Amino acid sequence: MTTTAPTTTQKKDKPLGQSQFSVAWQQFRKNRLAQAGGLMLILLYVMAIFAPFIAPDALSSYSTSNITRFHPPTPIQFRDPDTGAFTRPYVFKYTQQLNMDTFVNEFKPSAERCPLYFGVRGASYKLLGFIPGNLHLFGTNKEDCSVYLFGGEDLGRDLFTRTLYASQISLTIGLGAVVITTLIGLMMGAVSAYFGGIVDTLVMRLVEVIAAIPSLFLLLLLRSVFPKDINPILALYVILGLLAFIGWGGLARVTRGQLLSVREQDFVSAAKSLGASDNRIMWRHMLPTLTTYVIVTTSLAIPATILTESGLSFLGIGAVEPYASWGSLLKAAQDGGLSSLNTRPWVLIPGFFIVFTVMCFQLLGDGLRDAFDPRKRA
Amino acid sequence: MIPFLLRRLVQSIPTLLLASILIFFVIQLAPGDFLTPAKLNPNISPEQLAALQRNFGLDRHPIEQYFLWMRNMLFHFDLGLSFSYQQPVLDVIKPRVANSMYLVLLYTVLFYLIAIPLGVFGAVRQNSLGDKAVNVFLYFLLGFPSFFLALIVIYFILQLRTKTGLDIPINGMTSNDFDSMTAVQKFFDVTKHLIIPAVILAVSDAAGLTRVIRGQMLEVMRSDYIRTARAKGVTERTAIWKHTFRNAILPIVANVGSLLPSAVAGAGFIEVVFAYPGITPMILDALNAQDLYLIAGFTVITTVLLVIGNALGDILLAVVDPRIKVG
Repeated sequence: MTTTAPTTTQKKDKPLGQSQFSVAWQQFRKNRLAQAGGLMLILLYVMAIFAPFIAPDALSSYSTSNITRFHPPTPIQFRDPDTGAFTRPYVFKYTQQLNMDTFVNEFKPSAERCPLYFGVRGASYKLLGFIPGNLHLFGTNKEDCSVYLFGGEDLGRDLFTRTLYASQISLTIGLGAVVITTLIGLMMGAVSAYFGGIVDTLVMRLVEVIAAIPSLFLLLLLRSVFPKDINPILALYVILGLLAFIGWGGLARVTRGQLLSVREQDFVSAAKSLGASDNRIMWRHMLPTLTTYVIVTTSLAIPATILTESGLSFLGIGAVEPYASWGSLLKAAQDGGLSSLNTRPWVLIPGFFIVFTVMCFQLLGDGLRDAFDPRKRA
Repeated sequence: MIPFLLRRLVQSIPTLLLASILIFFVIQLAPGDFLTPAKLNPNISPEQLAALQRNFGLDRHPIEQYFLWMRNMLFHFDLGLSFSYQQPVLDVIKPRVANSMYLVLLYTVLFYLIAIPLGVFGAVRQNSLGDKAVNVFLYFLLGFPSFFLALIVIYFILQLRTKTGLDIPINGMTSNDFDSMTAVQKFFDVTKHLIIPAVILAVSDAAGLTRVIRGQMLEVMRSDYIRTARAKGVTERTAIWKHTFRNAILPIVANVGSLLPSAVAGAGFIEVVFAYPGITPMILDALNAQDLYLIAGFTVITTVLLVIGNALGDILLAVVDPRIKVG
């Protein structure tokens, strides 16, 4: 008889019981695209948090004496033009001249060089609203010769800075509105299923009415309740609230339906006969059955909300001056005159941030949906 | 068919009523009314103001006002008076709604012309190079807001214009010399202005529908009756278009009702970019001017459109799916 040495394969044995989340996590780990999307989103949010530090300028600083309206992007040079040797990175200073044939202000790089430094002191800011600082990642240290990575916008402000600050608003409103929507939807659905009767009828009718009015026009109508010239900060909250208000209907309906069907199931009767309170049954036993659905719909609702927010800002009823979101930056691109758009293509750059963010959220959302879907398991 | 339609109509009345209440009280919530600017005008005496208030019923209780507004709307098709245009709302919005409808109609045709063949192709040649390329492209397109796509297209059109001197219209609905054209020329002029916005809209929206059609087709193609049909010896063409496609589009047809209002809203962004005289640019102006009855008028009209769209969707579904009994 031969004896076989114990093989190492036994080590790989996993505990038999696996939670739904660990299964989903394993599935998610196999989906490279979704992971890449998630990683990019983390980078985007980190970028948004540290926007004041990364940006070379302040949100809304522009010179009234040296007007740099639609300043072209200043490429960063690494080589000395005379010797060809590598030097400290620098940008050329641009001069403006009115072309007497076309009456268009033309920007031309001059010979003057403005070297770039890391960690320059500049406009002061507050990270996350409470950490003060005035250090910027890079800059030229010169007032009249700043670096325009993405060019300038219609008031001559640095578009790169504006885009970074805009990401704070675009990324927050999209996420915040969906979180609030989800909470309202869950609560309304739960209330309507729990109380039934007149409350149920009222809530479900309200859902129907909101669905009956086309959402864009409902948003415009609701926005008209607030004065046009409210405080810009307040305007952001208003738009956040409106986006949250119009979106909760679908979730409320699903929640109500799910709770009504779960209410009849054995584990709920068991909990009830064990003496659990209504509150506990609702939060610990009934609502968790919706977890998967909520995770998947939420992750796919965020990109949609970001698109809606950018659209509203583009129409001029989202973020207003001095604040900017990616949509309102595109509005500024359009306001500068459509027929001259081809002379300043850089004003379209903020739009690609929308595309990129939405795509990352889509990849992540699709990945999560597949991870939680037992039919798609490989 | 007619009893079915009637029942459908009766069912939508409560929703419409509630929607009208919501719209009206949102207007009541808004600060000021359309006499507010007049109050600031020193040339209008308080007596005149009071007279105006009486005329428009603004001195009455909001609930009474609501019934007045409803009565005017139902029996006289009167949506109130637009303050900034000093005209009945209906007269102001009629041409705008018509303009938007032209755009939406062309868009709808193009939308299906793009989405259906692409979706069917993706399902029939699943995982082929073409299918994968289309998928990646559409996935990329999903992230583009329509107005951003329009701005990019305008940028390239402008480049083309400066290079070739072609006169590609990017603004408005008609050319400058529209009034002096013949009827046929007018038609082609409007079409020329419509085609670019409609294509952009259709392309930016087609991504979603194409994916749905592809998924539906794949699901139906795996079902038993398709195998049976093939075994029976029907041609591939019949198997795909008659047996698979017809079943695959049922959920899409059921959703066709919501297409109309969402298309009107979606077209809004493009209208703004192209300065097209449609609904949304006017609502935005009305928003700036606090012309509330105008906003409410548009909202009421589009809500009615949604209800009509839903009824149409139901009828279409009954036509496509014989299992659904009508009447």
